[in-house]
Amino acid sequence: MALFLQRLVDGLSSGSVYALIALGLVIIYRGTGHLNFAQGEMALFSAYVVYQMGEWGLPIGFALMIGLAVGFVIGAVAEVGLVRPVSKKSPFAVFIVTIGLFQLLNWLAGAIWGDQVLPNSGVGSEQQQYPSLFPDAPEDFVKVFGAAIRYQSIGVFGLTMVITGLLFLLFNKTKFGLAMRAVASNTESAKLVGIRVNTVLMVSWGLAAAIGTIGGVVFAGINNSVSLGLMFTVFIYGSAAATLGGFDSPGGAVIAGLMIGVIEGMAAGYIGFIGQEMKLAVAFIVILVVLMVKPSGLFGTAKVERV
Amino acid sequence: MKSLFTIKDGSAAHWALRLLAAAIVVAIMLWIPTKGSNGLVTSATEALTLMSAAMALNLILGYTGQISIGHSAFYGTGAYVTAILVSKYEWSPWLTFPVAFVIAFVVGVLVSFPASRIKGVYLALVTLALALVFPNLLRWPKLESLTGGGPGLPNSDSALDTTGFDIGRREGQMRNFEIFGWDPFGDLRGQGAIPFYYWIAAGIAIIVYIVIRGVVKSRAGRSLIAVRDNETAAAVMGVNLVATKAFAFGISAGLCALPGSVTAIRLGSMSPDVATLTILGSLTFLIVMVIGGAGSLWGPVIGAALYVIVTDRTGNWADEEAIPGLLRPFFGWSKIPPGTGIFAVTLIALMFVAPRGLVGVWKQYSPRIVRVVPRPAGLAAATKPVLAAVDTNTTPEGESE
Repeated sequence: MALFLQRLVDGLSSGSVYALIALGLVIIYRGTGHLNFAQGEMALFSAYVVYQMGEWGLPIGFALMIGLAVGFVIGAVAEVGLVRPVSKKSPFAVFIVTIGLFQLLNWLAGAIWGDQVLPNSGVGSEQQQYPSLFPDAPEDFVKVFGAAIRYQSIGVFGLTMVITGLLFLLFNKTKFGLAMRAVASNTESAKLVGIRVNTVLMVSWGLAAAIGTIGGVVFAGINNSVSLGLMFTVFIYGSAAATLGGFDSPGGAVIAGLMIGVIEGMAAGYIGFIGQEMKLAVAFIVILVVLMVKPSGLFGTAKVERV
Repeated sequence: MKSLFTIKDGSAAHWALRLLAAAIVVAIMLWIPTKGSNGLVTSATEALTLMSAAMALNLILGYTGQISIGHSAFYGTGAYVTAILVSKYEWSPWLTFPVAFVIAFVVGVLVSFPASRIKGVYLALVTLALALVFPNLLRWPKLESLTGGGPGLPNSDSALDTTGFDIGRREGQMRNFEIFGWDPFGDLRGQGAIPFYYWIAAGIAIIVYIVIRGVVKSRAGRSLIAVRDNETAAAVMGVNLVATKAFAFGISAGLCALPGSVTAIRLGSMSPDVATLTILGSLTFLIVMVIGGAGSLWGPVIGAALYVIVTDRTGNWADEEAIPGLLRPFFGWSKIPPGTGIFAVTLIALMFVAPRGLVGVWKQYSPRIVRVVPRPAGLAAATKPVLAAVDTNTTPEGESE
């Protein structure tokens, strides 16, 4: 029982990270219909920025704000400067640009901060660990039915729920959210009724990258370190969540992200056949099966294909 | 648009041009292992394996239009098939090539079935997941008896004598490469094993090129291009989508396994950490192919040569002192070699200026010097003004100066 609860909580906490990455993917997909392969690396870069802020002695809240701003700018600039001009050419060009962005951001992070795992006191890090949003000392946990539930896990899950709630309010209760939904449902008509589609798309990408930033910072916090390969697998889990939830459903992305976190944790823990090495196969199989059987995902709207 | 020379397809001048191009390629290929330094030969070997893999990827991405970032898995399949057969079952490395091809072919066909339902970037997502799962599969304890798990298949000294896996690295160790007692590479031992690997890689690159050229120029190749350009239209014209994709994926995966086998032979050991077996390998193949030119036969060749030249030159640039003075302000701040960054920027920039890569640029501007007028397709077409038709087709867009 304790073990089950432990795995459930751990699954929910990593699932929260997947949900945040998936949310970013979904917001971009709803806006421009693109799959942003650089989502993980955008998050990685701003996670490094937050690390640097911590290095300069800024409190975590302030560091996170700067990280969010950097993430937002990266996303917005990527949309305006790169994706928008290229999307007129072909979907393939957009795909290549997102892959190029993936490589560029990963390299840039490596060029600035080096390719070792940080914080690393050996290479002059001031900090002992990655700036954590939540109390993360070894004794920071509560015991529930024998399972040690870390404050960090509770915090990560809670934060994801808060962000989801805020997004819900943004989408449903604000004028800008209405504009975003209008663009998602029909860009041409949205233009005709006077919505500034370009601004909406720019903000969508910025918002997606900023949400990704939180995912990256939280994941680096769970890992207690940040390194160049940090987001590779997280991106796959995130895309699995977006696929399962439906690429145009933010709520679906969050639910699916949490589901995948839990399934993955349980599968690795209880099914010896899978083990820790093949955890990623869970994500792979989810993507494959959903795309084969129900491409619109659990909560997405089915796409009508015209010939 | 004016061109200096206009020659007809199939004329003597055209053949002379073709022979000249072939002679240059042959001369370069012979010059490298005979006159080049060992470092150059090693780089050329890397370029040859890389271009074979990129050519294989080109068949599926450039010609069939199916986005794959999972080719490192096929590459790795080839590498591991060779490594396992040679080190555990003491096969001759020669015989592992066809086996690697067949196994990767089957894997490719299996991947093609979801691909016939999943389209565009979603397929990219699936193949990306495949590329990330593959190294974990190699580490999987259930397969450890075969793959050696995390450490992989090491090149331990005890295995040397019995398996001959460390082929040609020392004198008298090449017996596994003898064909009925005749060692075709005997004369190359002068410079040690390095040119030997070069020739294996070159042979594989030539085979891959010939197969892909054969496929692309045949009926099958035209149906691939039809699928790329418009899937629905292709199906209406009578192209069997499932069979065509299965064929393309199978051949592409099989061919991609061959350079993997070469790498296994060259390194003499294999582990899941070898970079070309991970997602980085897939991205490298993609970069090589797109920079050279997707959907062209020579694109991957040029892309691979360029890639290896740049990464070799900039490989030690993490050390600021190694950067040539003029470039130091640009790259001096970087803590890692700038190769990846340079290629990322190039990749993005190419999508703006030349989506068809360097070969595309060449095709756009080479008619200014030499224009080859295609032969008319039939008698009826011959009466039409062929030249005028070609002019309108090949005149590039931004052609105002």
